[in-house]
Amino acid sequence: MNAVVRENQPSSVLVSLRNLNKHYGDFTAVDNISLEIRDGEFLTFLGSSGSGKSTTLSMLAGFETPSSGEILVSGSSLINVPPHKRDIGMVFQRYSLFPHLNVRDNIEFPLTLRKMTTAERQKRVDAMLKLVQLEAFAHRRPAQLSGGQQQRVAIARALVYEPRILLMDEPLGALDKKLREDLQDELRHLHRRLGITIVYVTHDQEEAMRLSQRIAIFSHGQIVGLGSGYDLYQSPPNAFVASFLGNSNFLRVKSVANASASFEGQSLTTVPVGGLTAGQDVLLMLRPEKIRALSVEAAQQTALPSGWNEISAKVREIVFLGESLTCNVVTPGGTELTVKSLGSGLQNVQPGADVRVRWAAADACLYDQWNDADLSKGAGAH
Amino acid sequence: MLLSANAMGPRLRFGLFTVNAVIAAFLLLPILFIVLLSFGSSQWLVFPPPGWTFKWYEQFFSNAQWMQSAFVSLKVALLTTVFATVLGLPTAFALVRGKFPGRDLLYALFTLPMIVPLVIIAVATYALFLKFGYTGTLTAFVISHVIVALPFTIISIINSLKLFDQSIEDAAVICGASRWQAILKVTFPAIRPGLVAGGLFAFLVSWDEVVLSIMMASPGLQTLPVKMWTTLRQDLTPVIAVASTLLIALSILIMLVAALLRRRAELKG
Amino acid sequence: MTALRTTLVDTATSGKARLASDRWRGAPYLLPALIFLGLFFLAPLIGLLLRGILEPTPGLSNYAQLFANSAYSKVLFNTFAVAGLVTLISLLLAFPLAWAITLVPRGWGRALLGIVLLSMWTSLLARTYSWLVLLQASGVINKVLMAFGVIDQPLEMVHNLTGVVIGMTYIMIPFIVLPLQATMSAIDPMVLQAGSICGASPWRNFFRVFIPLCRPGIFSGALMVFVMSLGYYVTPALLGGAQNMMLPEFIVQQVQSFLNWGVASAAAALLIVITLALFYVYLKLQPESPAASATAR
Repeated sequence: MNAVVRENQPSSVLVSLRNLNKHYGDFTAVDNISLEIRDGEFLTFLGSSGSGKSTTLSMLAGFETPSSGEILVSGSSLINVPPHKRDIGMVFQRYSLFPHLNVRDNIEFPLTLRKMTTAERQKRVDAMLKLVQLEAFAHRRPAQLSGGQQQRVAIARALVYEPRILLMDEPLGALDKKLREDLQDELRHLHRRLGITIVYVTHDQEEAMRLSQRIAIFSHGQIVGLGSGYDLYQSPPNAFVASFLGNSNFLRVKSVANASASFEGQSLTTVPVGGLTAGQDVLLMLRPEKIRALSVEAAQQTALPSGWNEISAKVREIVFLGESLTCNVVTPGGTELTVKSLGSGLQNVQPGADVRVRWAAADACLYDQWNDADLSKGAGAH
Repeated sequence: MLLSANAMGPRLRFGLFTVNAVIAAFLLLPILFIVLLSFGSSQWLVFPPPGWTFKWYEQFFSNAQWMQSAFVSLKVALLTTVFATVLGLPTAFALVRGKFPGRDLLYALFTLPMIVPLVIIAVATYALFLKFGYTGTLTAFVISHVIVALPFTIISIINSLKLFDQSIEDAAVICGASRWQAILKVTFPAIRPGLVAGGLFAFLVSWDEVVLSIMMASPGLQTLPVKMWTTLRQDLTPVIAVASTLLIALSILIMLVAALLRRRAELKG
Repeated sequence: MTALRTTLVDTATSGKARLASDRWRGAPYLLPALIFLGLFFLAPLIGLLLRGILEPTPGLSNYAQLFANSAYSKVLFNTFAVAGLVTLISLLLAFPLAWAITLVPRGWGRALLGIVLLSMWTSLLARTYSWLVLLQASGVINKVLMAFGVIDQPLEMVHNLTGVVIGMTYIMIPFIVLPLQATMSAIDPMVLQAGSICGASPWRNFFRVFIPLCRPGIFSGALMVFVMSLGYYVTPALLGGAQNMMLPEFIVQQVQSFLNWGVASAAAALLIVITLALFYVYLKLQPESPAASATAR
């Protein structure tokens, strides 16, 4: 409940990254990143491998020294603080438990490095074992545990000394899908209960959506999108984010006037965008589920609502996916579009048939700048 | 951190570097020293030598005893290599591919000569050859050397056999080869690096063997290490430094060959 | 698939009783080596051990002598003391080497590994001879120490146990470096990062995480070296003195000089039992014995 309240309040900034850079020779791993992490939030760094997200996390933990820039926690610099004095908790990708210690000793390890009475240590370890539900396994060695159990130990070890920040570097990557989803739910609940600040790194966008309050999308060492999963998905700030997050269709259109454009000779209504000159190339992005495809007869029977666009296309392929139906269509000009429909509206359309494709102008996003390379999936790595 | 050179503090890195430089010097010192000494002109092994000379080399190569012992060493080492490989090959195949009870125990038995102190093997075989009047013969040398060289060839071949995917051999059989043809044309070329490495090990073990050879030797038949040993016990003449240098040179040569073969195998793999 | 896996062995034994051939598949190929080792290694070894209880008269008198005679028990003490000391010192010297080789496997670590291997494969006799010359009273080491004013008189570093310890340590270092380095390179560096983020200073991380993780390599390397040191003959015989003998030298002396086969074989039996017992412990320490992985197929 706590976290929900927090979300509505403008909470204070806990960590600030300012103009952070990391170069390895000529290679720029992190390119001038600035970011503020709020106290108590669950923030995810999302990006493909090599996008700079893990390097940024490593700099936060203190395993990498920034080439330039500043890391502030509660206003004071961390740059010259070694990892063991940062008071940060971290959960590693392959858990990195101490193989020579049993579960209990693993969790107790950070406490033995701090001034604390034995009784207090016992109490905290017991509480942690309970939290991660591993009381029965306290005397096992890590090698005798399943992947999920090991991950819980790693989380307990990172939380037991009550750090200000918990870093998690793809902690669920090595687990199978079902277990991963269970642990994602556990993690979300844990975050709500403890109210700790979590910075989470993943390349799995579904995981990012499921877990985080805010997502920072990394590409080529930069943060190219920052916001809640909902905002990033519904109105991506740029074509890269649109393409990276979920599925997207891109139409190359020409601006005609403030709220109209032309696509392959047909005129389209768009949301008003300032600063466009007539004849300028503009990219129009549509989510597959926002598009409707109707057979020619159906289109004749149903009037086009105002504020909607219609173009004609030919069906290439229809794939049934259980809860939804995906239909690939091609416009006369050769642009391919994917239409995703939950209903059975496309049931009687056959491949090769002519269809009318419709969408609401308000559902489309427009970009006047983009990189063609960004439009394909899997972009973002160096 | 402690396992990443870059993340290590400069002081720790410097400290580790210095300590290792000293230990490396300790490891290299006797080897370099002996090579230099073999060219030094001092009969009494004064260091640094008052002058440089080849005369100890001349003495070594013109002395019939030294030359003969080097020749015996070579003969024994080559024979040992051949026998240890011939005996080791079927043994390794059986240990890797065979299925029979007590295989682990047998494996342990074949590696036992590596573990039992050499001096005990030497005394035991000495007693045997003494009984049958075989001491001081080439046969005694070769047999005793094969005992200690055999584990090296077996282990080396076992390792390369385990790396070899047997389904490739099966594929050759599916293609129409007989099992023997498949082994000869597919498996053998694949395990050749292990075979060669095992042979090199066997050669080096025999070439460098002192303890067994001392027990087997007679005044008429001795290997280079035995000749060195007996000379050493009388005086420390620089000719021993020459013999040592030649032994070192051969060791380095064999190591280089082994490294080269490994690299070639890696490149192929 | 199993039908295809008729190995070379079947072809040899087919025709014989099916069950028996299946049970002993491949075993005949062991025979040549087995016969060879049986005749020339096992039989003489057993023969030697028997002499310990049969010569000169049947009984345990040789063993009693070995422990009762103070000169003999001094040999035993020397053997263990030297082996222990050599193990300890070579461990201390091998650790930084193994660490550096693990840290920088491409840079100077590679050079260090080369030096270790070179030293390991260089003729034992050549290296021992070199130490003999280096350590003698008029040798380089004494000269250097005197030139720097560290000592006034040459130290006696050869023909005594000091010489043996120096020479043996030198020879044993590679045998600890290699297993230790293998253990170290198998350690996940992230575990050390984890130790650090949990609050361990580099110093504590070293002792509380790194050293415990190296323990298997330390144990197996040290055990190996201890066992080898117990049975070494050449180096102690050359660098040691007649007064301070070790067990292997003692055995050879009893056989060659005194023809006292009884005591020699009792000593040999003792050495074998200790060696094999320690080696058994060593195998138990290995996560996977070579024999075990040979079976894995």
